[in-house]
Amino acid sequence: MEQKNKISGIYIGLLGLVTLACGLADIFVWAGINPGFQVGILEIAGDDFFRWAWGGFIMVCAGLFMIAGSRNALSLQQFAKVTLGGVLVWVIAGTDIFARICENIPAGEEAPEFLNSLSGFIGGFAPPYPPAVILLPFTLVILYLLYTQAYDTE
Amino acid sequence: MADSTKKKITVLMVGNPNVGKSALFNRMTGANAMVSNYPGTTVDFTSGTLIEGRQEYEIIDVPGTYSLEPRDAAEEVAVRMIRDHPDAVVMIVFDATKIDRGLYIALEVMEQGMLCIVAVNMMDTAHDKKISVDTADLQKVLGVPVVATTATSGEGIRELAEQIRKAQVADLDKIIKRLNGEIPDKKSVGGCGGCGGC
Amino acid sequence: MVLSTDSRWEVVDRIARRTVAYGTYKRTLGDVLGELTVKPLTGIPVAVAALFAFWSIFCSFAGALVTDGFMVKLFDSHWLPWLQSVWPDPASWHYFVFVGDPLADNCFEAFGVLTSGLFVSIGVVLPAILIFYLMMTVLEDSGYLPRLAVLVDSVLHRIGLHGYAIVPMILGLGCNVPAVTATRILETRKQRFIMMTLLAIFIPCGAQLGVMLEVIPDMIGLVFLCLIGGFCLFGYILNKVIPGENPEILVDVPPYHWPIRENVVKKMWNRTKSFLKEAVPFVLFGVLLVNLLYLGGVIQALAAFFEPLFVTWFGVPKETVGPLIAGFLRKDLAIAQLSVIPMTAYQMFASVVLISIYFPCVATFVIMLREGWKELCAALAVLFVVVFVYGGLIHAIGILLGVA
Repeated sequence: MEQKNKISGIYIGLLGLVTLACGLADIFVWAGINPGFQVGILEIAGDDFFRWAWGGFIMVCAGLFMIAGSRNALSLQQFAKVTLGGVLVWVIAGTDIFARICENIPAGEEAPEFLNSLSGFIGGFAPPYPPAVILLPFTLVILYLLYTQAYDTE
Repeated sequence: MADSTKKKITVLMVGNPNVGKSALFNRMTGANAMVSNYPGTTVDFTSGTLIEGRQEYEIIDVPGTYSLEPRDAAEEVAVRMIRDHPDAVVMIVFDATKIDRGLYIALEVMEQGMLCIVAVNMMDTAHDKKISVDTADLQKVLGVPVVATTATSGEGIRELAEQIRKAQVADLDKIIKRLNGEIPDKKSVGGCGGCGGC
Repeated sequence: MVLSTDSRWEVVDRIARRTVAYGTYKRTLGDVLGELTVKPLTGIPVAVAALFAFWSIFCSFAGALVTDGFMVKLFDSHWLPWLQSVWPDPASWHYFVFVGDPLADNCFEAFGVLTSGLFVSIGVVLPAILIFYLMMTVLEDSGYLPRLAVLVDSVLHRIGLHGYAIVPMILGLGCNVPAVTATRILETRKQRFIMMTLLAIFIPCGAQLGVMLEVIPDMIGLVFLCLIGGFCLFGYILNKVIPGENPEILVDVPPYHWPIRENVVKKMWNRTKSFLKEAVPFVLFGVLLVNLLYLGGVIQALAAFFEPLFVTWFGVPKETVGPLIAGFLRKDLAIAQLSVIPMTAYQMFASVVLISIYFPCVATFVIMLREGWKELCAALAVLFVVVFVYGGLIHAIGILLGVA
């Protein structure tokens, strides 16, 4: 238990740091400090206020929550913070994915037909992705800890 | 109440806000009252019909109120409904995790000398919170039928519907005397709580 | 027998002690999460995230998927051409009323009952309302809404309201009609009056949001900022001016739980149904009436009369006066009408803000009348003052910034 607590704590702390960094990057790119960048499958477009400044702020908070909860991470009080941090990342990633689904079901303005072709639909999910979506698989650990009730129930 | 007449009986559902009155109401009538997990959704009343044992009931979902001294417009509706239906059966709905608040308004209703029945709702939440409510004992003390229900899953709804006909006028004197131990508890007969309604 | 309050509580106490047993209760993760979402330090980011999700899903579903993805195509390249080809005599009055402009190539700009009227109500507003009510239902059924109420309580106290006012406010973003009814959860007449007035003036309904999203997607943030600013400013003033109490609330925060699917579906259906029944006929009827008034020259006459006021005081071009007056019958369509008038960004912005703040649609008008005619008259008086002052203020700021 002690061992597990420690490993989870380190993992969550690191995840929190990365999330924080992503959030700050979102905001910086939006503010024009960096003109938008793409590394591998990661892309921060930073083009609109709502998604990048507002969303970036949420990512920053998510990172801070996880960092705050990383010490003695599996105690009830601390794990609640971690969960909340995870939920915030899921909100951003979830809305990003939902937006892609919604954009890719219709065929687009020019095409005569209504529905997108299957290949076109799947093609819409090709990289690059925003940071929250890339972080998503790494936050699944929190979901796992949540479902297995690995935290203390005291 | 050996009601063999087919006259429609009005049932008023009264209770604190957010105790699941609307959910219970929907379960019983199949009507569409707004159900929410926040207090104060029912600001107007909704009514629906329940037919049980060849008796037709008109069930009215009254807005939640903490007492019969109204604080806001929605609570005023509740008070007016009770005043306008002196012959109605009042179904007082409790939140099993907050029995005392429910009891307060129950006593206020009972003071009006109305026919009463109590539904102790949200038993599942109470169970989760490790709160247990002795509904049989509650029935003995109050002298009106008490039914444990969980509106979200539908538990106890049928019994509640069956018990409406056994609604009683509570006697506050007797309640106090029972609490003081001046009236010995009746021996319960065959699982009956001894409300004396039969 | 009637008991006094004290002895009643005593009896309650004794019964409860006898019948209720409390086991040792272990706090669950849900409880701790519940506390965290109410504390400002953690609660405010969560609220910000909830709003983000709300708006993002709203835009993706109503904007990108249904309206832009399907409805625009359906109405513009199938319905409109068909209607234009089968309706007889493009020069007749009935063509003007029902189909509108014979040269229009999209349903937004045709302004007929069966073109713009149908497109706005079914193609733009209906998906917006649907997704709005779905999210609203999930928020309230999960138990997040009362926590939001606690969180915003202290802010709302400054404008004469309290935390629960968040319920009519959020409902108002869907439709003002149920929102006005929901003001009954506020205790005093003062609170209800402030809430109703602010609702009618500063909170755009789902219909308007949907149309704004279509017509001026880039400016929504700014328009919102102006509306929120006005909401706070005039709430503060109303609170100072109107006599009456603003009592504290007893918030009953229910535990979090997963929304029950059938409950969510049922509620969404009920709300959407009442929208279809109450609002859609109003849209169609509103378009019909506006078109008839145009035909009869009434709108033009009114526009000519009010033109100096609008042009000099608010700084909007004279072509907007017609739509602004017609907006009383249906605000959302007025925004669509504005979109075809060539204007500078500032003029567009000012006219959208104006149309948002001034009086709500006829349906809201009727429902407010039901709540009390005195309040309605007072709200109307406040409205005129607000439109005049705030419209002028925005114009003044525009002049100072050199954009007007």
